[in-house]
Amino acid sequence: MATTAATPTFAPPAAASYGQTGIWSWITTVDHKRIGALYLYTALFFFLFGGLEAGMIRWQLALPNQHIVTAEQYNQLFTMHGTTMVFLAIMPLSAAFFNFLIPLQIGARDVAFPRLNAFSYWVYVLGGTFMTVPIFFGNAPNGGWFGYAPLTTMPYSSGLNIDFWVMGLQILGISSLAAAFNFITTIINMRAPGMTLMRMPVFTWMSFVVQFLLILAFPAITIALVFLLFDRFFGTQFYEIAAGADPLLWQHLFWVFGHPEVYILILPAFGLVSEILPTFSRKPLFGYNVVIYSGIMIGFLGFGVWAHHMFAVGMGATADTVFALTTMLIGVPTGVKIFNWIATMWGGQIRFAAPMKFAIGLIALFTIGGISGVMHSSPPADLQQTDTYFVVAHFHYVLFGGSIMGILGGIYFYFPKITGRYMSETMGTWHFWTTFIAMNLTFFPMHFSGMLGMPRRIYTYDAGQGWDTFNLISSIGTAMLILSTLIFVINFLKSRKSGAIAPNDAWGAGTLEWSIPSPPPDYNFAEIPVVTSRYPLWDLKHPERTAGIAHSAPDIMTITDAHAVPVHEETGHKTAAELGIPMPFNTVKPLIAAAALVTMFSGLLFMHKDQFAVAMTITIGSAALFVGTLYAWLTSPLE
Amino acid sequence: MASAVAHESHEHTHYTTTGLDNRKVAIWAFIGSECMLFASLISTYLIYKGKSIVGPFPHEAWTSPSGQIFKPILNIPVTSQSTFVLLMSSLAMVMALDAVESRGKPGYVGTIKGNSKFWLAATAVLGATFLGYQAFEFTSFVHEGLTIKTNLFGSSFFTLTGFHGAHVTAGVLWLLTLLSIDIKRGLTPKDALLVDICALYWHFVDVVWIAIFTLVYLIA
Amino acid sequence: MPRKRPRRLASALILVAGALAIAACGEQYPNSTFTHLTDFNTIIDGLWNRLLLLGTIVFVLVEGLLIYTIIKFRKREGAPEPKQTHGNSTLEITWTIVPVIILAMIAVPTVDAIWKTEAKASASSIQVQVIGHQWWWEFRYPQYGVVTANELYLPAGRTANFQLNSRDVIHSFWTPQLGGKRDVIANRTNYIWFTPDSSLAGSVFNGFCTEYCGSSHANMRFHVYTVSPADFDKWAAHQKEQAALSPVAAPAPATPAVAVKVASAATKPATAKPAAAPVFTPTAEGYEFPLDKMPAHTLPQTPMPVGDREVKFDDALLAQGDAARGHDLVANIANMGTVPCLTCHIIKGEYMVGGKQMFNDDGAKAPNLTHFATRHTFAGGVFRSDAKTLARWIKNAEHMKPGSLMTTLGNGEYAPSMKSKRTTGLDDRQIADIVAYLLSLK
Repeated sequence: MATTAATPTFAPPAAASYGQTGIWSWITTVDHKRIGALYLYTALFFFLFGGLEAGMIRWQLALPNQHIVTAEQYNQLFTMHGTTMVFLAIMPLSAAFFNFLIPLQIGARDVAFPRLNAFSYWVYVLGGTFMTVPIFFGNAPNGGWFGYAPLTTMPYSSGLNIDFWVMGLQILGISSLAAAFNFITTIINMRAPGMTLMRMPVFTWMSFVVQFLLILAFPAITIALVFLLFDRFFGTQFYEIAAGADPLLWQHLFWVFGHPEVYILILPAFGLVSEILPTFSRKPLFGYNVVIYSGIMIGFLGFGVWAHHMFAVGMGATADTVFALTTMLIGVPTGVKIFNWIATMWGGQIRFAAPMKFAIGLIALFTIGGISGVMHSSPPADLQQTDTYFVVAHFHYVLFGGSIMGILGGIYFYFPKITGRYMSETMGTWHFWTTFIAMNLTFFPMHFSGMLGMPRRIYTYDAGQGWDTFNLISSIGTAMLILSTLIFVINFLKSRKSGAIAPNDAWGAGTLEWSIPSPPPDYNFAEIPVVTSRYPLWDLKHPERTAGIAHSAPDIMTITDAHAVPVHEETGHKTAAELGIPMPFNTVKPLIAAAALVTMFSGLLFMHKDQFAVAMTITIGSAALFVGTLYAWLTSPLE
Repeated sequence: MASAVAHESHEHTHYTTTGLDNRKVAIWAFIGSECMLFASLISTYLIYKGKSIVGPFPHEAWTSPSGQIFKPILNIPVTSQSTFVLLMSSLAMVMALDAVESRGKPGYVGTIKGNSKFWLAATAVLGATFLGYQAFEFTSFVHEGLTIKTNLFGSSFFTLTGFHGAHVTAGVLWLLTLLSIDIKRGLTPKDALLVDICALYWHFVDVVWIAIFTLVYLIA
Repeated sequence: MPRKRPRRLASALILVAGALAIAACGEQYPNSTFTHLTDFNTIIDGLWNRLLLLGTIVFVLVEGLLIYTIIKFRKREGAPEPKQTHGNSTLEITWTIVPVIILAMIAVPTVDAIWKTEAKASASSIQVQVIGHQWWWEFRYPQYGVVTANELYLPAGRTANFQLNSRDVIHSFWTPQLGGKRDVIANRTNYIWFTPDSSLAGSVFNGFCTEYCGSSHANMRFHVYTVSPADFDKWAAHQKEQAALSPVAAPAPATPAVAVKVASAATKPATAKPAAAPVFTPTAEGYEFPLDKMPAHTLPQTPMPVGDREVKFDDALLAQGDAARGHDLVANIANMGTVPCLTCHIIKGEYMVGGKQMFNDDGAKAPNLTHFATRHTFAGGVFRSDAKTLARWIKNAEHMKPGSLMTTLGNGEYAPSMKSKRTTGLDDRQIADIVAYLLSLK
């Protein structure tokens, strides 16, 4: 730790709250860092929950023809495992980092719309609860995370299960969209002087791309869900077979959203890794421009490949050819990133701290997912692979090996910034190796069971089909994975209380967030820094590392804001009031608005019980409460 | 460029990178997202065009099983009128923004040009008139036997135009809110942004209608 | 040395995994997709081999480079600051172009294979309509006038062109050993074709539904019998006719192996009144895939439901089952307060009371049972069609197969779809009669 100059001048736990304590302060908070922390805790909870669902699935499939759970329970478990991991775990884990990091990385004091930010969180947590709780009553969604119509329409799924899913996703979409508008505005408009687009940290850049994916992809699923909701509640015929509907309408709308969604899940992890690798290699990112452009390219091409999820639906040879070629094309910018990361490490002084282990783990595992991805970009080959365990293996290498490894690395990396304490390195090492091995043990055999003919989403199978051993290995791996996650949970909880105290610059990194105390004060930056290059903190401490990249003179920039000063390490811990920095007021209105929104949807459920009056009372009442809260919110001052 | 704006509004406005207000950036992002929303709705309508098994149909006559003959259901002359009304509302919106931005400037004081209340009210009334036309259209369709449950055309038509109508309704409420602020304390050039973002939204809704009118009504 | 322990654990685990992997190698892979049994799979496997080769090369190179990098450039005490680099255009262009070249090497054969596999099937193909139902398969041979369920007969050496439709949700038709899958979608007709190699006469393959289609998605399987063209013709000619309706008529001329199977039920002399329906003597000789040639992996092993879903049946009654009485029951169980079998099923030659078939073939809601006794499996290929299983199925299909749309028929049985116990319906004796009847439908 020779590179970190500053030593902590105060004990973090006391300073962490900056006068804000108690549950009420969390409920009413509009501080992006506290909201980030809330996202982190909630999403980790859902991650564990989704993991336990996976555990049940693998227990059932460990041996042929088992009866651990019934077919119906199994179908709910795999539906909720997918839905939970995608919408309630990985996306919000990314959102935790968006919230916590984006303002810190661009030198801002908060996000553009702090209250909207709180609203996004509360909508997420209430929507997630709305969708998850029914599993305890055997009523959880059971149509798969992809919810293909017409299976999800009334004639084939008349229970409340699908209603929870349709409304839950609609609610979560509102949360994601609100957050995306917020972050786009934040990144476009709230960068510190001198923080040009091409100086933004790579994580912020990848997040920026993700926000565009969110605002452009979510409307498609919103509309698909609106149709389904109308079909189920109001008798429209969008997916009604008897009325001549085309079942592929849902699939197109869903995958126009669903494929960009894959990049929504992976790009933030790519961003985190692009922060971790340079720090622990003591070298700037190799080919920053290329990494950024390839990220944009991935986002752009991500909208042109959706139908590769549909090679088996019989689109015809022309469409298959077009989507096969665009899909192969998207492999190029992805591959480029891998090489740039390796080149970043090449010639460096690599320190294998826990974050770095996970970052390298991502490169190793994502590569496998990428290769199998190219394998099913070829439609004829995909006809043997799609809807088998081969695909399950593929996207778990992408989402677990990619997203989760990156996010876990990010948690180890930013834990000191968030809490002011390091996580235990010993337990981190254990966690990494057990996860890395268990992950491969779980998912690698699925390549085989898939190519040897095992379909996805089956709750049981006969012995002697050639799948027995592979399934048993996968299940053993899952058990191990659960244990390894337990190590992480213990580490996380213990280190919060008793981890080694971290200085400002916990790892010797180069970006702005490391120039302020750990944990940061509520106003983030006492003085807004003027940025002159891509690694402002390295400019200060390791000028030799940034000597080769473009700099601008600081004085040109200071004109824009009288309070801006050159980049420096902040060590003070004055309150915002002492510094004269206006802070947004705490408010409970976002929570009330969020609750009203969720109740509004829940009211509709009563329509299925033929209680039209109850449904309308709840829905219209909540809608009125929502609009009223919104008015009160918009007319009350922010700070 | 950025510095100029930042200096102009240095008192209560935070420094922003682009010099634009955050809300203006956000509304553009919002409109981008809305484009995809309507693109999905319009595509669905077009995909289902001609796929309905039973009538009524938009552009073709239809004989029901009971022998009743239906005319093509879309009434283009009437909808042309409502389209014109909505276009005019956009014009009024432009005038309203101009009036607020130029409050107190010579040539505006005391003239109709500078009367932002009039223009805001006019925009809202024209918007409401458009909604009236839509209500008339919907009821007459229902009388002719087309509801949201009848066929694929009915489902996709009512959902698409209904979504647009809901956007117009939200816009009218927004305009009325601005009008009430204007009446209460008077909108000044400092408030121009409030009118500006509403205008952006209103023009967007108008443009969407032009697309719907062309693709749904005019092209058979 | 806590740092070393995870690594030691790692090597131990890799050893265990290796041992298990070796164990897996000893297994048989009866559903492997890596076959050349059809023209279709030969094309795909060729493509796969290229994908695997290139994928392995990329894998070894990238992971090798990664491992080399992290070992070579790991931190050393006292080492100076690393030499700083920021990018290198030549390198970056290189690693953009190399993937493009690799992808082009995949793209060319891919496009070629797309157009080959999606070409129109040859005119001489045998046409098979595949209709997906929750959760069973209907197979129709329009050229032969044959309708059957869950068991697909194909002449080896002749291209089979499948026309795929669904009556409800989306399913997907897949026989891993013979060809790729194609989705089965309502309001949309899909096609897929393949030619089983002529050496396959006398083989059987497992088929699966591979699009999630609800509760019993896992229980929607089928079997493909590839038989010699001569056997196929015999099979088709026989299937086209109605079955011998009553055991009173001359016993169906079947192969001896199969006759034994139904002996217990069908050859018992009928003591009850003679069959009401006209006796029909099949003219065709008939063929069915010999049961003893079916390997273990093609015989369903679905266990009987247990616990509160257990279906109890007195198997001793099966020996007393009477096909003629059963024959009367299939059309008349309305008397027992339940829907007659013929409300949903078609049995050629059998009529509902009043002399009508409920619907034409296109309206069938349930498997066509005309030659039920020639099939070795039923209920989406998850049960062997033996008397004991069949009896329990008729008694409470909803317990036997999750979500089954065939309603619970046994009196006193709990019917999940009604959320109550039935107070009407069939008693075990009547079920035994129906079983005897079904097993006589050769």
